[in-house]
Amino acid sequence: MRRRNAVFVGLAAGALVLVAAGFGNGGNTSGAQGKKGGTITMLSNGDVDHIDPGQAYYQFTYAITYITQRPLLAYKPNSVTPIPDLAASMPTVSANGLTVTVHIKHGIKFSPPVNREVTSADVKYAMERGFDSAVANGYASAYFGDLVGAPTTPQNKVPNISGIQTPDKYTIVFKLTKPSGVFVGALQEPLTAPVPASYARKYDKGTASSYGNWQVATGPYMIQNNAAGKITGYTPGRQIVLVRNPNWNPKTSWRPAYADKIVIKEGFDPTVGTKQILSGSADVNGDFPPPAAELKSITSNSSQKSELEFTATSGSRYVALNTRKPPFNKLLVRQAVAYVLDRNALRLTRGGPIDGKIATHFISPDFGSVGFNQAGGFNFNPFPSAGGSGDVAKAMALMKKAGYKSGKYSGPQVTQVADNSPPGSNTAAVVANSLAKIGFNVKTISVQHAAMYTRFCNVPKNEPNICPNVGWLADFHEPQTLLDPTFNGKNIIPTNNSNWPLLNDPAINKLMDKAELELNPETRYKEWGQIDDMITKTAAAIPWIWETSPTLYSTKVTHASELWNGGEPDMSFMSVK
Amino acid sequence: MGAYIVRRTLWAILLLLVVSFLTFVIFNVFPSADPAALRAGRNATPALIEQIRRNLGLDKPFYTQYWIYLKGLLEHFNLGYSYYNTESVKSEIFSRLPATISVTVGGFVAWMLIGIPVGIISAIKPRSLLDRIMMGGSLVAISAPVYFLGLVSLFLFAQGTGVLQWAGAAGSYVPITQNPGTWFNSLILAWLTLAAAFAAFYARMTRGNLIEVMHEDYIRTARAKGLRESVVITKHGLRAALTPIVTMAGMDIGLLLGGAILTEIVFNIPGIGRYAYDAIVNADLPAIQGTVLFGAFFIVFANLVVDILYAFLDPRVTYG
Repeated sequence: MRRRNAVFVGLAAGALVLVAAGFGNGGNTSGAQGKKGGTITMLSNGDVDHIDPGQAYYQFTYAITYITQRPLLAYKPNSVTPIPDLAASMPTVSANGLTVTVHIKHGIKFSPPVNREVTSADVKYAMERGFDSAVANGYASAYFGDLVGAPTTPQNKVPNISGIQTPDKYTIVFKLTKPSGVFVGALQEPLTAPVPASYARKYDKGTASSYGNWQVATGPYMIQNNAAGKITGYTPGRQIVLVRNPNWNPKTSWRPAYADKIVIKEGFDPTVGTKQILSGSADVNGDFPPPAAELKSITSNSSQKSELEFTATSGSRYVALNTRKPPFNKLLVRQAVAYVLDRNALRLTRGGPIDGKIATHFISPDFGSVGFNQAGGFNFNPFPSAGGSGDVAKAMALMKKAGYKSGKYSGPQVTQVADNSPPGSNTAAVVANSLAKIGFNVKTISVQHAAMYTRFCNVPKNEPNICPNVGWLADFHEPQTLLDPTFNGKNIIPTNNSNWPLLNDPAINKLMDKAELELNPETRYKEWGQIDDMITKTAAAIPWIWETSPTLYSTKVTHASELWNGGEPDMSFMSVK
Repeated sequence: MGAYIVRRTLWAILLLLVVSFLTFVIFNVFPSADPAALRAGRNATPALIEQIRRNLGLDKPFYTQYWIYLKGLLEHFNLGYSYYNTESVKSEIFSRLPATISVTVGGFVAWMLIGIPVGIISAIKPRSLLDRIMMGGSLVAISAPVYFLGLVSLFLFAQGTGVLQWAGAAGSYVPITQNPGTWFNSLILAWLTLAAAFAAFYARMTRGNLIEVMHEDYIRTARAKGLRESVVITKHGLRAALTPIVTMAGMDIGLLLGGAILTEIVFNIPGIGRYAYDAIVNADLPAIQGTVLFGAFFIVFANLVVDILYAFLDPRVTYG
């Protein structure tokens, strides 16, 4: 999942413990009775990435998409286990893993102006349109590319995928070319939320779909629209207004949907927005965390800190070393860097211990028995140092083994491409300072965040020696979504590459390819845990923080943070007090 | 004068063409983000990115892209469509123009109402305690960044965040046609923040110009004729002292109509400045191009208006 360019600060991992201990009370995550009515106001700094649910990919966008749309599976706020939403029950998987069958609920209707009952054909169309370049869903190929008949090249129109079958109005049968351990998990993605073909097809024509501006809803809320279906409640960069979907049947849903209206106001400076929430002028933050200075103030105020919830972000930040270019094509040199890197100083660039726990491998603690424990949990740390501040002596010893007799690098300058603004620029400075201790002269090229990715780090031929500001969040709660796109050699592509270290280890690749096909969860998580350890030991990328994200609520609303979505508020569970 | 206006207009058109071309070159040559990759998302395949690149016309050489853009602009006044959300750039700019005009005009009125009188008072009583306080204050106002002043004003005076909740909160802007009272309340702090630095600068300029003018021979003549001092200052002194101020004011208004970016961001006013900022962050070339062109147009137009006005203000100035 794509991380917005925001500073995430939080407490140490064990944020869940803190929530349970009462830090951030007022939660309504169990779905306990709230008060019906009222308006919830959310503040954001930026806009959604796409208003079309078939294109949505940001955490912030999901907070809106999941309460207006009903994918086959979804999550309650305090859970990372998907449960049926549009689906009547969990999907059944055939013994050979090649057929996945889902039955959808009866009586679910689209919002006006479509109004009719949702059928299996609507889910089929929704998923197929993701392969049309006019929609260009970012994960369609990654998670649904194994469907029989799924296109392997971009399409100029909505394809008919033979592997999505609809034998009757309420049944979808997915046929796969190979078993997939994550296919069922991927059915929680908003791409599986139904879209009425006869209504949407005219908007999906051309080079860019306009369905987003005419979308209909199946969730408890809808974006305000006019009688013709044009959404009037979305002004890009300014405001999104959600009203009740008159066709939503609460008996078919576990969402309580207490509020009558939800208003998302965009364009707020994070400090100003935080103060407005604290004063009660608004109710919750969307895509920005309270800035570090404000967090410090809030956490030292006994009445304010109870309105703060911290949630793990299901991923890590790391420093990627280009394994195709000297000197980081040598294992010993990379391991020396892993030893010398001052993770504590890196964490300070994000706010310090309040930001999260120092990461020692890639699967984050919130995964628990879904790979984190199997990777060794908090005890697995192949490059330990006192306080995480780096171990120069061990680093130098490895450099000597690598052939640098003095224990320090004596080769040409190495280059890193970094963010040109804090905190990314600060992170890059710490990386350069750490490497200088073992003789590296690091040249830093500072560019805008988006350019850093799309022009340099995501393009192997342009990639520098070091990409210091990278990180990855899980698309959903499966370790494959953390490790496969980012470290599997087969996923190295000429543009939009996310395997930043360009790691192509045959043993690791083989194990990942095997684990992808594993249907037994216990075996699968054990394998991914082992893969996590193997990747970490290559030091191709060096994780340094498992971040947590703070959500600030006003005293006027109950709390409900999406554990599965990095702490974004679940506004269908929030209520006005 | 007519020939002069025609000549200046033609130069203005050429200048705008050069600006649009330079913007294109800068965006393509310097390492900005790849809009096709941004649009495609994290997991997209290279083939999909290339398809999106073709859909957006980005696969063509940049001079071909520029020609297509120019043709659309000249034939249909079409500023293109946002790579980010496919909205029409022209529609977006025009929908945001009232907010930017509101900020600019209000700010202008505020800084003129504050800056000119302060400058006059300081000029009349040079080196007095009042003069030193006013000029010292103006130095502070010039030095304090708009962003800082804006946040301080919000934390002191705005509803929701302020100690004294006198003015509208950030993000409370509504068009004047919707509710004039709320419109005014939502902009007052933005006006004063924007006006602070400008007023200070204009005060210092007015003071300096007026002090200089008041030493001229014709001022001595006016006094010798027995005119009241207030008439000497306002009718004879200010007329000459304000001429360069008018020039500056015109250019400043032109600049701000292109978008007071920092003010609009701090106070969350949905104007062209905010749109330009978001466009840069999202590598949205059509939106960047549109806002730059608009900004350039207003500056060029304002310069032309000011130069024409100059001819009326100063009889010594003639244009052939």
